[in-house]
Amino acid sequence: MSGRAIARRTLAWAALALLGAGCAGATPDAPDYRGIPPWASRAIPEARGEFRVAPDGKRTAVRYAGWTTRDFERFPTYAYGDQRPDPAVQRVTMPAGVVGDAQKGRALFMNRSKGPCYACHLVPGDDVWPAGSAGPDQSMIGDRKLSDQYLYQVVWDARALFPNTVMPPWGTAGVFSSQEIVDLVAYLQTLKGPVPPEKDPNRNPFTRAKPAGFGDNLDPTNNPALVLADDADAVWAARGPSGKACGDCHEGGVARAMRGVATRYPKFVKTYGRVMSIEDFLTMHAPETTGLEMRSESNDNINMSVLIKRASNGMPVRVDLESPEARAALARGKATFHRKVGERNHACADCHTPDAAAGKFLSGRLLADVRTGLTRHFPTWRTDRAEIWDMRKRFQWCMTPLGMNMLAADSIEYAELELYLTSFDNGKPLNVPGIRH
Amino acid sequence: MTDIGKVRLRVPSTIKAGDVVQVRSLIIHPMERIERDQQGKIVQKNYNYINKVTVTYLGKTIAVFDTTQSVAENPFFSFTFKATDPGQLKVQFLDTTGGKYEGTADIKFS
Repeated sequence: MSGRAIARRTLAWAALALLGAGCAGATPDAPDYRGIPPWASRAIPEARGEFRVAPDGKRTAVRYAGWTTRDFERFPTYAYGDQRPDPAVQRVTMPAGVVGDAQKGRALFMNRSKGPCYACHLVPGDDVWPAGSAGPDQSMIGDRKLSDQYLYQVVWDARALFPNTVMPPWGTAGVFSSQEIVDLVAYLQTLKGPVPPEKDPNRNPFTRAKPAGFGDNLDPTNNPALVLADDADAVWAARGPSGKACGDCHEGGVARAMRGVATRYPKFVKTYGRVMSIEDFLTMHAPETTGLEMRSESNDNINMSVLIKRASNGMPVRVDLESPEARAALARGKATFHRKVGERNHACADCHTPDAAAGKFLSGRLLADVRTGLTRHFPTWRTDRAEIWDMRKRFQWCMTPLGMNMLAADSIEYAELELYLTSFDNGKPLNVPGIRH
Repeated sequence: MTDIGKVRLRVPSTIKAGDVVQVRSLIIHPMERIERDQQGKIVQKNYNYINKVTVTYLGKTIAVFDTTQSVAENPFFSFTFKATDPGQLKVQFLDTTGGKYEGTADIKFS
């Protein structure tokens, strides 16, 4: 046995031991959902995850301009009150006598309103752009002499064959119909080698260059977020209805008064009995002190968060991971990270852990690895949206297209998920605002 | 969009007389496109984009850029000039709706 294999086996035993301890309930690291206070959202209307109900009972989601308004009520969400299990695994038999159309199958494979399948699986064709590598390369799957029934089951619900797969159960979720899956199978069977030589190395996600980034994020002529967020200077100085301004209590200017503050968030705030990010805290703290509203996802809230976090730029993140409240929140955040939700039956972990798809391409997007720390540059400038996004809007964006109703931006669930993600940033320097695609 | 027209200019922190200096500038601007139908007629008439950038140094215009709708949102402009005397550098942005935005930088020698 090689050294690495021994190490892996030891690890497996350690994991088993931990699992045992978790079952016994002796450790606080198993998620415990009791005692979470109810929370009334203080977000702007489009960030609350609410619904408009038409007289005929049809529900449309209220979300940001340009986002889908589809209601994904059928599928589990990250809400702690929603402990619906994953949809049951469906074992299916391919209907006999139905002939698949490979051409239609290819169109379905490429259909952006369905999968698209090419976002994870590479197949030949110059129009397959930008292909992803999150799933296996299927360029020659037709050579593997797999039965039609086998492929039909894998597309319908791959969990029947691979319990830990990250492949969405397309048939079970109702994304593809039986006939459509038969067409897809017919197309897959046509994919035979040899694969034509690659003309463009960037077409192939396995040889594609990794994105290079966007330069100095703290240069105001390079990062529009710095220019936009300086509105917060005026908000900091403004006197609210109570006659007080931020600087009246936090003396010495933002840079001095707020130095190091952001390194400790998200944290458990006793007054409110919940974990809060800076953004969450401002929604309560501003109205209670200056009397100014600072709703979650409003410009004032995000700009002020940027201002406060910038005062800690370069300082290492130091969130509390040890107090009983923090440990309980971390356990819940971690459980959320690994929980499968939505139409696609995806968990955060499916894309952002190295055991799954982290470091691979989802279409043209390189999937980040949670262990590198993904929060310390938030709020961040998003080049493709031309907006400053905080972590919450990023969460909302991540899961909504995957078929899950988003939660309120200032929900406890998101705060604890952020705490779990931030635990990987501990010790690494804050760098706000970042720039990302 | 209340932030429209915010300008940031950056010049190197140390400049010597006679240096060729690189200026970097960014302006917050939506740069809306002119959209046309199949016949080439303008569909969206509310377009608004920057069509002229003027650089003034020591009160004299030293460069004018004619820009078109194909420049990105929140555009970034960079150019060089020769710093002969200390004084003010001004970059002015004009857009199709008559908006006039400017940023200034003090050129000081060290």
